[in-house]
Amino acid sequence: MRLRTDDDIYRARLLYLGPPGYTLPVHLPYAQYGLFAVLVPFFMFIHYLFTMEIEIFPAWEIALAMVTTSFIFRHVDPDRPARIVIRTALTDWRRRQESSEERRDPSLVATKVRIRQELL
Amino acid sequence: MTTPSHPGGHYRESDPSDGRPGTAGNGPTPSGAGEKNTTPGSAPLVVFRAPRAHPAHASPNGRSYTPAHAAPPGGPSGTPPAPHSPSTGEFPLVDPPTGGFPRVESPSGGFPFIDPPVRRTPSGVNHPPQNALTSSGNGAASPPAAPQSDSSPQYRGPKWNPTPSEWNTPSAPAPASEPATTPTQPAVPPPIPQEQSRLGQVLTGTPAPAPAAPAPTPTPPQRGELKPYVSHPPATPQRPRTVEPTNFVHPPAQTTRSRPALPQQSSTPAKAVPAPEATQATPHKPPGNQKKPVKPRPPRFKDRAPRQELAITEIAGHLTFTANTVTAWYWLPEVRWAFRPDSERENLIIAIAEQYAGLAGFRLHLRRTTRPFPIDEWARTIAANTPNPLPPAPGAPTWADHLISAQRHLLAANASEGQTYLGITFARRTFRDVLAERFNHLRGKGTSEKERARNARLVEQFDEILGSFGVRARRATPHELEWLIYRSVALGMSPPTHLSPVSDGHWESGDLLALTEHIERYRTPYGSTVKLVNRLTGEERHVCVLTVGRMEPLEIPEVHEPWLHFHERLPWPMELSSRVDVLGPGDAFRNLEHRLRMIRSQQRDYQEHGIDAPPELERLAQRALRVGDEMTTGLPLDASRIHGWHRLAVSGRTREECLERARRVIKMYSRDMRISLQHPKNQDLLVREFIPGEPVANTGYLRRMPVRLFAAALPQAASIVGDRRGDLIGRTAGTSRRPVFLDLHFPTEVRERSGLAVFVAEPGGGKSTLIGALGYLAARRGVQVTLLDPSGPLARLCQMPELRPYSRVLNLTGSEHGTLAPYALIPTPQRSHFPEGRTGDREYEIALSNARAERRMLVQDICSMLVPPQVAREARTATLLRHAVRQVPAEETSTLDDLIQTLSSIDDDGRELANLLLDTAEMPLALLFFGQPPEGALGDDAALTVITMAGLRLPDLRIEREYWSAEEQLALPMLHTAHRLAVRRCYGGDMRRRKLVGLDEAHFMEGWRSGRSFLVRLARDSRKWNLAALVASQNPRDILGLDVQNLVSTVFVGRIAEDHEIAADALRMLRVPRGVGYEQTLATLSAVDPSSQNRLPYREFVMRDVDGRVQRIRVDISYVPGLLEHLDTTPTPQPRNDSNAIAPIATPSPSAPAEV
Repeated sequence: MRLRTDDDIYRARLLYLGPPGYTLPVHLPYAQYGLFAVLVPFFMFIHYLFTMEIEIFPAWEIALAMVTTSFIFRHVDPDRPARIVIRTALTDWRRRQESSEERRDPSLVATKVRIRQELL
Repeated sequence: MTTPSHPGGHYRESDPSDGRPGTAGNGPTPSGAGEKNTTPGSAPLVVFRAPRAHPAHASPNGRSYTPAHAAPPGGPSGTPPAPHSPSTGEFPLVDPPTGGFPRVESPSGGFPFIDPPVRRTPSGVNHPPQNALTSSGNGAASPPAAPQSDSSPQYRGPKWNPTPSEWNTPSAPAPASEPATTPTQPAVPPPIPQEQSRLGQVLTGTPAPAPAAPAPTPTPPQRGELKPYVSHPPATPQRPRTVEPTNFVHPPAQTTRSRPALPQQSSTPAKAVPAPEATQATPHKPPGNQKKPVKPRPPRFKDRAPRQELAITEIAGHLTFTANTVTAWYWLPEVRWAFRPDSERENLIIAIAEQYAGLAGFRLHLRRTTRPFPIDEWARTIAANTPNPLPPAPGAPTWADHLISAQRHLLAANASEGQTYLGITFARRTFRDVLAERFNHLRGKGTSEKERARNARLVEQFDEILGSFGVRARRATPHELEWLIYRSVALGMSPPTHLSPVSDGHWESGDLLALTEHIERYRTPYGSTVKLVNRLTGEERHVCVLTVGRMEPLEIPEVHEPWLHFHERLPWPMELSSRVDVLGPGDAFRNLEHRLRMIRSQQRDYQEHGIDAPPELERLAQRALRVGDEMTTGLPLDASRIHGWHRLAVSGRTREECLERARRVIKMYSRDMRISLQHPKNQDLLVREFIPGEPVANTGYLRRMPVRLFAAALPQAASIVGDRRGDLIGRTAGTSRRPVFLDLHFPTEVRERSGLAVFVAEPGGGKSTLIGALGYLAARRGVQVTLLDPSGPLARLCQMPELRPYSRVLNLTGSEHGTLAPYALIPTPQRSHFPEGRTGDREYEIALSNARAERRMLVQDICSMLVPPQVAREARTATLLRHAVRQVPAEETSTLDDLIQTLSSIDDDGRELANLLLDTAEMPLALLFFGQPPEGALGDDAALTVITMAGLRLPDLRIEREYWSAEEQLALPMLHTAHRLAVRRCYGGDMRRRKLVGLDEAHFMEGWRSGRSFLVRLARDSRKWNLAALVASQNPRDILGLDVQNLVSTVFVGRIAEDHEIAADALRMLRVPRGVGYEQTLATLSAVDPSSQNRLPYREFVMRDVDGRVQRIRVDISYVPGLLEHLDTTPTPQPRNDSNAIAPIATPSPSAPAEV
């Protein structure tokens, strides 16, 4: 039997080509636009935290958001969705400090498991 | 630090003579007997792993002890000093560590500690060292001596560091008899006692119960130590403190260990506490440091290591409960995969797929773990089945040694069996259920009855679905679930061998889970692996989890192996965990349709913008359409989808080894199966995912596949062949490596089939060696063995030191006249061989006439072979012979001379024929046929008889008989009769006694009527006479006829590369489909590496056992010292000057395990 997975169907790249009538020069996946749209307010918020003011045209924030988005999506592929990449990046940042030595994790113990021989 | 996995480390047998501690391993067995008992006793020993020696044995008071303690690498002082609960159990002075361990239902309440010392006293009495001790005359050498001795070690000194070392020394074997020499002991003993204490309750039993051995050994050193101790004022007060850190480690182990062993430890905690105090008190007195008994204080420092409870809260029957869900677990038996016709395999996959499709809507957890092969159990079985092994010969390894070396060989080969479990998460727990459970916890109970009853009803449907052909699952037992959980927590570590769920019934419920406490987890640098450390044994293991990434289309079963079974090609065990959701047709379709719509809208988009859409989109759209079509119009089998994650855990002793193995697995999968395995981050979460009940580590790599593909993963495909009660002959060489055992009397005794085993291979295929090896193994076990080996190499078997006093070589070329007299070669049936009554009478008469008919046939054939071929071909000859044979009474006492006389009396032609026969009789070899057989030629009781025809040149069957030389012409009847002679020997004596006959070069019987009837008779009688017949042939045509009549039970097919017809016949004998490529398999057996200059140390065969399982095996009997040299049949070059005077065949002994 010839057996194959369904994954290629889910791997199709869905790109936003542009509004009807105008084709954007660059075709990016929809997800990037979404992430961009989330990141710009986020960076504006950070800017606000530091300077207590909101610019009308947040050029730096937009630029930062574009860079961050492209960086994140460099590592994204159908098997590693964006949220996983983000999470990994965050945890890496936290743990890189200790990455050169061993760390002890909590041991998983099963000491409180009750055991019955029969179900009823 | 790596665990010293030196095989040498475990084998206490290396210790002088006194294998006692080894026998100790067997607990209560000891009494008795010599070799046989030591075998089972030593078995558990052999099976143990040497734990890493612990540094924490510091004995500060500068006693000779210290060096010993220094011996173990100064490793992890941080690690809880020695989990090795003293085999003596004294340990508990440290007393009932609070908290923690409760739920291990220790029957004795967990304080068995006290008793062992007491018990040991009486037993220790007989021991010489004890005498030495008592004579040492210290104050402690009084009845309280035992308790004191136990306590004495504790008083070692100011910083007496626990138990482990102290206790260990005691367990040192006899050598420890010199108390003074104790220092050196710890180096060796620590492994043992640790092992003993590790978990084997059988073992634990030993220290105390075993009357003679273990008890004395533990005690004397202690006592010895006591003496020196007395001279040093102890600084006792600190004792309790120092012991603290380790206390909690021990109790669980303690309880587990001691529980089964020491029933009398029912002392209550309260009693326990004071008792040690009392004992402590006395020894304290002399030093005078202590004013009064000190109560052991509660531990000051609890183990600060962080712990986290598993999500599973209860195991009830085969269900496991977590906080939110209920999962039902089933155990999947292994299915045969190799050498089956493709249609059968497809049917199997489709059946499994249907069953999975029936589980739509549930979440599955498919888990594959390994269990070590229960080597000691096998050793016990084989010892039990061998009531009369061959008596030992001086200077040669005994039967016990033989078993021990077999077990070592098995150990070195890391034999393990896989177990597959399937968990179905089928219910969510309601708030009320959870509340009820919480409430019940307060009352000490678990989940509520109502909840379980409800679940029991729901779960019955799974039994039905999964119990039918395909998966054939059965409910998992709580013990198996415990085993699974433990193995998942200690992922990739060596399993506690004594705890294998098969052999040991002593496990109390909860014990296995208690062991999970001792597994520590570490995150390694860069997070590529997870390090697991077992505090009890000191074992360290690095685990990395790979996840299945992109998969290309697979063709199973035509081209590819099942994709979750494929990893078993590699020699190390790996674990699998698949967490999947089964989507029924509706859900799957919705999912797919959504996707399809998105693709279509993208295509429209491209169209609107006037850009060329990538062709991939269209292809995918078509594919989605087709899949959607399947889903909506097909059966659930075609429509259901399985979405989930598939993980593979690879482990190694060090990080580098683990990563190297992972690389190899990745490469193997990407090359052969075109599946890319990824090594993602978050290894700790992934490792946790293996444990049943834990959350999924969402790291992407979600695979969506049709149910068929998931069914074709088939992790439970197996490759077992052979019975489990016979001798070890090698291992399987297909996808996984399992040991192969063969008991040639298993078909006759248990399966009630014939005992005929057939060997087919080309010359050089290893048939003779295999027959010789099987004959040796059988002779060792006390079977009466007769081997016929025309070419002669098997005669050297009789020179092996262990066989020499019991074997005999019968060289036909030098035998007396009449040895091969044809009439005497067919035994006369006795009335006693048949059952009573009329049917017995009838059978007896039929057998009698059959015997007579066979004699006549044989004599006719022999005479045809003796006269020149041209004469034999004439019709008149045949008539004359028949006429004469009819007249000579066909009894055993007739001879060829009678026949010749009768022939002469018929007529002139007859006389001519008789003269021709007499002419033949001029050759000395032919005289073997004439005359009466000499007395006592057959009736000896040698365990091993090898019949050879040294110097006889065998004819080439492909040449016409006319072109044969006189000697070759004579060889043919000699072969025929020699085969019968070999079998004749088995017809005397007890019918039920085990016998084995090995017939080499049986293809010479092909084409002769008598030959075929001989084989049929052999096959038929083999069951009645408990006779295992090994028939080796280069051309199985005649035997094939037998096989059709189901008269052949075991088949070995070796390398057949030249002749296609023989290959086809061989495949037919194996009952394997022809024409699908298995001929290629036969041709590549025992494939030689062209770049290697050494001879191949093994031979491969395809074996079909009595139960019809077919598998490719590699025969490896290198564990028998010297066997391969004696069986070496290939001409060797001149002995070289280097140490290997014998050809490379000798080297396999050390290297064979290495190649594994």
